[in-house]
Amino acid sequence: MKLLVCVSKTPDTTTKVSFTDGDTAFDTQGVQYIMNPYDEWYALVRALELKESAGGTVTIINVGTADNDAIIRKGLAIGADDAIRVDAAGGSAYFVAKQIAEQAKAGSYDMVFFGKETIDYNGSQIGAMVSEMLDMPFISYATKMDMAGNTATIARDIEGGQEIVEVDTPFVLSAAKGLAEQRIPNMRGIMQAKRKPLNVVPAVAVDEKASIVSYALPPAKSDCRYVDAENMDELVALLHGEAKVI
Amino acid sequence: MANYISMDNLRFVVHEMLHAEKLCSFPRYQDYDKESFDILMDSTKDYADKVMYPSFKEMDEDPARYDDGKIYVHPVVGEVMKYAGENGSIGALFDYDLGGMQLPHLIHSALAHIAQCANNSLPGYTGLTAGAAGLIASFGEKALIDKYVPNMLSGKWGGTMCLTEPQAGSSLSDITTSASPSGDGSYQIKGQKIFISGGDHEYCDNFVHLVLARIDGAPAGTRGISLFVVPKHRIAGDGLESNDVITAGDFQKMGQKGYCTTHLVFGENDNCQGWLVGTEHRGLKYMFQMMNGARIDVGLTAASIATAAYHASLQYAQERPQGRRILSGGVKNVDAEQTTIIKHPDVRRMLLLQRAITEGSVSLLMQASLYHDLSQAGPEEDRERYHDLLELLTPIAKTYPSEMGQISISNGLQILGGYGFCTDFPLEQYYRDIRITALYEGTTGIQSLDLLGRKVVMKNGEAMKHLTKEIIDTIQAAENYDELKPYAAQLKNASKELQDTIMHLLKFAMSGEHERFIADATIFMDFMSTVVHAWQWLKMATVAKTALVTDNKTFDAAFYENKIHTMRFYFKYELPKISSCKTTLLNDETLTIPEEHQSVLA
Ligand SMILES: Cc1cc2nc3c(=O)[nH]c(=O)nc-3n(C[C@H](O)[C@H](O)[C@H](O)COP(=O)(O)OP(=O)(O)OC[C@H]3O[C@@H](n4cnc5c(N)ncnc54)[C@H](O)[C@@H]3O)c2cc1C
Repeated sequence: MKLLVCVSKTPDTTTKVSFTDGDTAFDTQGVQYIMNPYDEWYALVRALELKESAGGTVTIINVGTADNDAIIRKGLAIGADDAIRVDAAGGSAYFVAKQIAEQAKAGSYDMVFFGKETIDYNGSQIGAMVSEMLDMPFISYATKMDMAGNTATIARDIEGGQEIVEVDTPFVLSAAKGLAEQRIPNMRGIMQAKRKPLNVVPAVAVDEKASIVSYALPPAKSDCRYVDAENMDELVALLHGEAKVI
Repeated sequence: MANYISMDNLRFVVHEMLHAEKLCSFPRYQDYDKESFDILMDSTKDYADKVMYPSFKEMDEDPARYDDGKIYVHPVVGEVMKYAGENGSIGALFDYDLGGMQLPHLIHSALAHIAQCANNSLPGYTGLTAGAAGLIASFGEKALIDKYVPNMLSGKWGGTMCLTEPQAGSSLSDITTSASPSGDGSYQIKGQKIFISGGDHEYCDNFVHLVLARIDGAPAGTRGISLFVVPKHRIAGDGLESNDVITAGDFQKMGQKGYCTTHLVFGENDNCQGWLVGTEHRGLKYMFQMMNGARIDVGLTAASIATAAYHASLQYAQERPQGRRILSGGVKNVDAEQTTIIKHPDVRRMLLLQRAITEGSVSLLMQASLYHDLSQAGPEEDRERYHDLLELLTPIAKTYPSEMGQISISNGLQILGGYGFCTDFPLEQYYRDIRITALYEGTTGIQSLDLLGRKVVMKNGEAMKHLTKEIIDTIQAAENYDELKPYAAQLKNASKELQDTIMHLLKFAMSGEHERFIADATIFMDFMSTVVHAWQWLKMATVAKTALVTDNKTFDAAFYENKIHTMRFYFKYELPKISSCKTTLLNDETLTIPEEHQSVLA
């Protein structure tokens, strides 16, 4: 089985977010990056598990500049066999989806894995776009997946319960918490990663269909308020009247 | 999860200050690059978050214990041994042909720092196993290596260092454990070893003890001590059989409670076999060759415990509201909300002190680890110089964090007020845990004797000359920036005062008054380590300043500005302490050297 896992780079969760260029771009100064956890912990690990049980190869793909090689290397250290980086300075979700779809088509993969969203822009768009471009079914927010031959049985969380879907390969899937468990790359894997192929390919031209107008931070959190432990009435009044959470 | 380390600080020291990637130009480290170092550090942090930190308090509350001949430890010990074996981290420093990873010491120390910050009771189990295997690999014959090292590096078998006996702690020349030739190449071992860390537990199939013992008829003193491999179970055919090593107890301690400290009895039934490592009577020499690494590891433990404590007290200070700031005119606005305590100058002083001690310690430990690499794998012509620097700095890198780390944590505990004393917060545990680091691997007293009595004077002061050169280089680099010039001048002066004091003390050595020469070695340690850490701080500040001026920043500007601020704190609050040390060391009154008929401590 040929498996493709799409990985993206996101700021570390402890990053202090600010914007530049008239609030149209994220200020990257001093930011440490990680692999998007949904891609790493769930999508990539489940793909590796499938390869380990049924054989095949796992390729990871990223759209970005050479700065992204560090997170690609991490994916190879965790266990992917090879990697593709589409050399581009980023772009809209549509742009990225186009690049991935191009490579996915060329490689004829049985499954294309995504994380359910990136933890920075939370778009959840690319998986769906790619499935459309590849004309494959898209199963989003997968929390469990079993394979029997070419048929996958996938559980996905829905409001108030679960939905079970059956689908034959090829398909596109987005991974949510529960699909697998985080794997920490080990020393030997990290050493081997340096020797695994990382193929850098040029981006295809795309007509952008949308652009960012501006970003804004959420309103600052107000200070902590202390309420006397005995004074339940005041607490209830605050939660109801001010915080409006009850 | 609570924050217990600054990964940014570690990355700053490893990459921006020490340029770890330059090591990759040496053949030994050519398979590594900056990215692999980063992935290693991040993965170790992930593992520490997931497995090590969650058991930090549990291991304290449920300590290692002895029951009916067996030692019981927290199950995470088994998990970590297995993981470290499979992962390759027990053999990280070993050569490839022994199944190792040829990792630079610098990166190894960085990873150890992360792990020790998360849970200081755990890394010793794997670290000692690596240390014991390292002794066999360095000095043992091939057959001995083949028999023991692979199972140790895979984490299946634990390893220990058995030096201490009831009557021989600091003074190893008084070891009495005996080794009698059996005629078949092995020796019958008989004796007792106490305080043996990681000496027994249920999560390893076997324990390989590296035992110092005296072969029958060996000369007295340190020149008659040999080193033996003494397994708990000896290899018999395809299996293992008992080797008459009895676990007689586990010492119950004030800290590091999850790290067992065993009492082992060898040859109670005259059936304990040991195998000589290397040649006869060279045991202590072999041990000492591994000592720099082991002492740096203890320094790292101390620096890491103090680092974790700093982050715990910092978080508390950011959250705890208490009192109000004094406004101009000396009044307080009692109607205003309370301020968080981090706004009080005295609390800030304590936090900055913690930061100055811990980041300074980490910096020196990484610097020493880099010298270790350069002394083994660097350019041939420079190796001896780096070795001398490592020798000279090791007692300081071990002692400063273990002594000043205690002060640092005490200040951290103070920041929590009454809660610092309570078990709801981790400060009291850190305060207890760090205490051992000034004791094992040579007490502070012994380290100080080593520094003044041996290292400062070694090779006619050659190592001191190398260090002075390094300090001068740092001063010159700092002098490029007006902002740093006053601090460069202060360090230049401190370095000169250190030289003057050494010259004064050397007079006693040269006139044969050796006891007087080394009587206040611990004060000297305090003096010299304060100067050495000022050097490290000026070095860090200069790197930070360069990053700001050249706009070549990995972190935000505040990170670098804060480094410079903390350096200034160190130079204002810590460095001046050397005057007091110098005054004491230059005062010729002898008040501690025992004289006959003196009753002062009777
Ligand atoms: C938790 C724990 C774990 C340990 N792990 C190990 C281990 O794995 N393997 C092992 O072999 N040992 C281990 N030890 C032993 C440890 O290394 C010794 O305790 C230490 O070296 C000090 O020896 P001692 O306890 O006999 O003290 P002593 O040597 O009796 O020292 C007592 C005091 O006298 C001072 N002193 C002694 N001699 C001199 C001198 N010549 N000049 C000036 N001052 C002096 C010391 O500095 C100290 O303050 C461990 C100890 C502990 C507590």
